[in-house]
Amino acid sequence: MKVIIRIVLLAALAALGIWLWTVLFPSPEKVVRRRLTELARTVSSSANESDLTRLAAARSVAGFFAATVELNVDLPELGQHNSMDREEITQLALMGRSRAGGLRVKFPDINITVAPDKQSAMADLTVEANVSGEHDPIVQEMKFTFRKNDGQWLITRIETVRTLI
Amino acid sequence: MPSQDTVGQSNIRPEQPQDPGWLRIILIGRNPKVTFARIAVLVVTCFIIFKFILLHIQVEGISMLPTYPDQSKHFVNRFAYLWHGPQRGDVVGIRFSTNAPAGIHQAANWLKPPHAMLLKRIVGLPGETVAFADGRVLINGEVLDEPYEKTPCDWNRPPVKLGPDEYFVVGDNRTMPWEDHTFGRAQRSQIVGKALL
Repeated sequence: MKVIIRIVLLAALAALGIWLWTVLFPSPEKVVRRRLTELARTVSSSANESDLTRLAAARSVAGFFAATVELNVDLPELGQHNSMDREEITQLALMGRSRAGGLRVKFPDINITVAPDKQSAMADLTVEANVSGEHDPIVQEMKFTFRKNDGQWLITRIETVRTLI
Repeated sequence: MPSQDTVGQSNIRPEQPQDPGWLRIILIGRNPKVTFARIAVLVVTCFIIFKFILLHIQVEGISMLPTYPDQSKHFVNRFAYLWHGPQRGDVVGIRFSTNAPAGIHQAANWLKPPHAMLLKRIVGLPGETVAFADGRVLINGEVLDEPYEKTPCDWNRPPVKLGPDEYFVVGDNRTMPWEDHTFGRAQRSQIVGKALL
């Protein structure tokens, strides 16, 4: 009986150790997934937020991106840009937040491919955006490229994907 | 003379099992252990079926009118194409993530059912050429009979040759300009299952 108890305790200890390891040293995929969840939450806005909150949130959105982001998007809201810097992203986020009465963004289906060197990753995801007052949600497949920069995973490229070709 | 009741016998009579009340029988049955086991099996079965096999969907948009009205609720059966491929005329759920693990039989696909899908009808099968002429679908140059198509349409699109693993999908509501309608070629791996009900 004592042996069984010892084995169970050892197994529990090992499981705890593995769990702690994954919490303290998460895999790149987990980190990228977490970053995307945070990004969706930061981009989302409520209808009655103050100007200060709006500005702070827009600056936070820019913090998810590299200094320059390559764009290959087919979205009229973004115009004909090939790249954007953080200031432009902040302005865009600010404009979006002021215009939309309230916005709820989700990334429901995320597939992440981490490069073998673990310094970059590609996230293929579905963007689902619900704008207050609009009947139908905006659903768009997109690809985000992440690069690890000083220990932080930043978005370096955004592209829209045509689901049906 | 002592009575027979008291000689060598205890006065305490063995407890007779009480009949459970009718309310208890209705609520948890005559044997609660069996009932709880049944409930557990039912819950697990429902969880597996509705999480991985029959995906609940809510239509958002008008592209499948009049067959599937906006906000209507249905299921997508992921087992529909286990033994045969998708057929012409089937209404299917199409995953957005084109980069999803390929192959419907792959465990990764099964364990990660998509949350957002396109709902479209298959009109073209692998290897065929699909075109639109005056609102009629042409398959290899011949007009496709579409009994589900109730609304007039004036689309004209050049022929598209489908690859060996591609299906041509389109919504039933073709009253809108073709530029506003999402349609085209879908890979087999993008087809999640067949719409039910």
